[in-house]
Amino acid sequence: MLPGRGAPGARAARTLLPPLLVLLAAARGGWADGASTESPFTSSPVGEGPMTNYSNLSLERHNITLPERSSVQKQVILESPSLMYLTCKFTASGNLTSVCVTWKRGDEPLKNFSHTVEGNSTVRTQYNFTIVNSKQLGNYSCVFEDRKEQRGTFTIQVPEVKGKKKPLITYVGDSTVLVCKCEKCVGPSHWTWYRSNGSVQVPIDANMSAKYVISGAHNNETKLKLMNLLEEDGGSYWCRAVFPLGESEDQQELVVLSFLVPLKPFFAIIAEAVLLVAIILLFEVYTQKRKKHPDDGKEFEQIEQLKSDDSNGLENNAPRQRKK
Amino acid sequence: MAGRAEPPDGGWGWMVVLSAFFQSALVFGVLRSFGVFFVEFVSAFEEQAARVSWIASIGIAVQQFGSPIGSALSTKFGPRPVVMTGGILAALGMLLASFATSLTHLYLSIGLLSGSGWALTFTPTLACLSRYFSRRRSLAMGLALTGVGLSSFAFAPLFQWLLNRFAWRGALLLVSALSCHLVACGALLRPLSLAEDSAVGGPRAQLTSLLHHGPFLRYTVALTLINTGYFIPYVHLVAHLQDLGWDPLPAAFLLSVAAISDLVGRVASGWLGDAVPGPVARLLMLWTTLTGVSLALFPVAQAPTALVVLAVAYGFTSGALTPVAFSVLPELVGTGRIYCGLGLVQMVESIGGLLGAPLSGYLRDVTGNYTASFMVAGAFLLVGSGVLITLPHFFSCFSAPTSRPQELVIEALDTKVSLPKEEGLGED
Repeated sequence: MLPGRGAPGARAARTLLPPLLVLLAAARGGWADGASTESPFTSSPVGEGPMTNYSNLSLERHNITLPERSSVQKQVILESPSLMYLTCKFTASGNLTSVCVTWKRGDEPLKNFSHTVEGNSTVRTQYNFTIVNSKQLGNYSCVFEDRKEQRGTFTIQVPEVKGKKKPLITYVGDSTVLVCKCEKCVGPSHWTWYRSNGSVQVPIDANMSAKYVISGAHNNETKLKLMNLLEEDGGSYWCRAVFPLGESEDQQELVVLSFLVPLKPFFAIIAEAVLLVAIILLFEVYTQKRKKHPDDGKEFEQIEQLKSDDSNGLENNAPRQRKK
Repeated sequence: MAGRAEPPDGGWGWMVVLSAFFQSALVFGVLRSFGVFFVEFVSAFEEQAARVSWIASIGIAVQQFGSPIGSALSTKFGPRPVVMTGGILAALGMLLASFATSLTHLYLSIGLLSGSGWALTFTPTLACLSRYFSRRRSLAMGLALTGVGLSSFAFAPLFQWLLNRFAWRGALLLVSALSCHLVACGALLRPLSLAEDSAVGGPRAQLTSLLHHGPFLRYTVALTLINTGYFIPYVHLVAHLQDLGWDPLPAAFLLSVAAISDLVGRVASGWLGDAVPGPVARLLMLWTTLTGVSLALFPVAQAPTALVVLAVAYGFTSGALTPVAFSVLPELVGTGRIYCGLGLVQMVESIGGLLGAPLSGYLRDVTGNYTASFMVAGAFLLVGSGVLITLPHFFSCFSAPTSRPQELVIEALDTKVSLPKEEGLGED
């Protein structure tokens, strides 16, 4: 406010003052807006505005209906940032007024959920939020406290990756393929393979050596082909899938045997077969020899018989009868 | 050296039974349990299932078509050297297969080489066995053929263990070593000369005389028809059960039940074949008719108990017809011509076996379920048993003279049983 001095100066100030006041009021209003955006009150846990970038997120709706006196767990598999609408439905056995409804993440209580009452004894509660990074994964539970506590838990996690459970057995010089697949998933942004000796994981670079070829027919599987295997190539192999919301990995065991391993039983069995053949043939030769000796003995007896017959025949003058 | 007038019916014959037992185990047990390798080959060579199953098909086809060659060589040189050579070939085929780098390699080594080895072992052994027995021929056959059933029980888990321990290359190596025991089995086949041998002449003469022998030709036709229907359940029973809503494990269990009753049927029928007077062909007709009936009833049965009963009945009757089918042939053509006769029948009836399974599959594709397949299989068996009525002395009360050798073809039936079982065992 300018102090009035002379008639012309004061007259100028009086005509300028209302627009100036209006200007000042507008400016102060702008400052007030700026101050309010810096207030700590915000519903988004990460610090982003609650209404940012919804067009990129997918919407995930999940429901749990709690039966009488038991808790339920549901698995929710997510790959990329999503808007989550989690709903729990609970039917009270008695009065609804004594039911206390809360949402917890682990043991930490959550805010910003809504709840509605349907009918005489049903409560529906909903918790909406966005998941944008891996720290937000975990167990989210709706808790109904009536006489007993009942929980419906949503376990939010990235897809699991699975390889073969049994160790893969190969021989030196062979080539083999290790396969990893992720179930119930569309496709990770990235697959990597590692070898581990003990606890150290060493990444495998397919471009560096001719030994490894990484390929995959679809986005939800990956194949590591190893060629010209050597005994040192045996060990643990890890495949890791990287999703926007996190990673998951699995281990596979590769065993590389040298050809000598089955050769020992092979020669043992062949030696046994040859021995059997030798025994059988020798036994046959032996029994044939035994047959021939009794024949010689019989012939000797027959000659004796003939001699005695002849001598008998000479005395009797009867026709000789040859005995066989 | 004059031959014996009568087969010895015992003595060294029982050692021949032992040899035939192990041989049928090593030939057909291996073939049947090959389903275990099937899964490994599909993933190792990254080939389709149909292409991998050709390995076993080629092996069986070579074994059957090569049977006349095995028989002709046995007539000339005696069974022992032929079977021992066959054993070496079979083992060599498996050995080379363990070094395979492609599916074609396996076709040649297992299919062609091992197959020809098997062709030189199985038919001569059974023919030799039929020469050693006359009164107790069916029983000897039945006992020898139980080797097939028992070995498929033992070899399937054994091969799986070998695969887990040594992977398929090492497992094939050890199967090759096992197959060397065929040589030992061959060593047991002491040559036997019977009185008719000098009368029938060499292989070529025998083959020509057989081809002009009416009853023999009719018998071959009958067995070919029987063979067409015989293997269908082994190939398609598991699939049929799954169509009805069975789980894989109970379905496989039902096959095992059928296999056990098959085993019992073989021995029982073998004993019965010797105990009952008259031509054995009548028993064969009985068993084939019953098998055909049980096959035709399969699509009608829906309840689990009915299916189990039918599976047991099928197992028993189909097992029962095998030793008897082998016993008929010596009665028809005489023990002098048995080697050639057996080989010839094997070869011809294999056509039936090779056609049977694809025909059944085709019917299934066209009609949508296995009703037509089983009915057609049963029909083939019934027609085959009808042809058996035309065999000589069918309605007489006395056996044909025991010195005539007449057992030929049941081996081929056994080969076919192996193939379907392998496909049926393609699990895991």
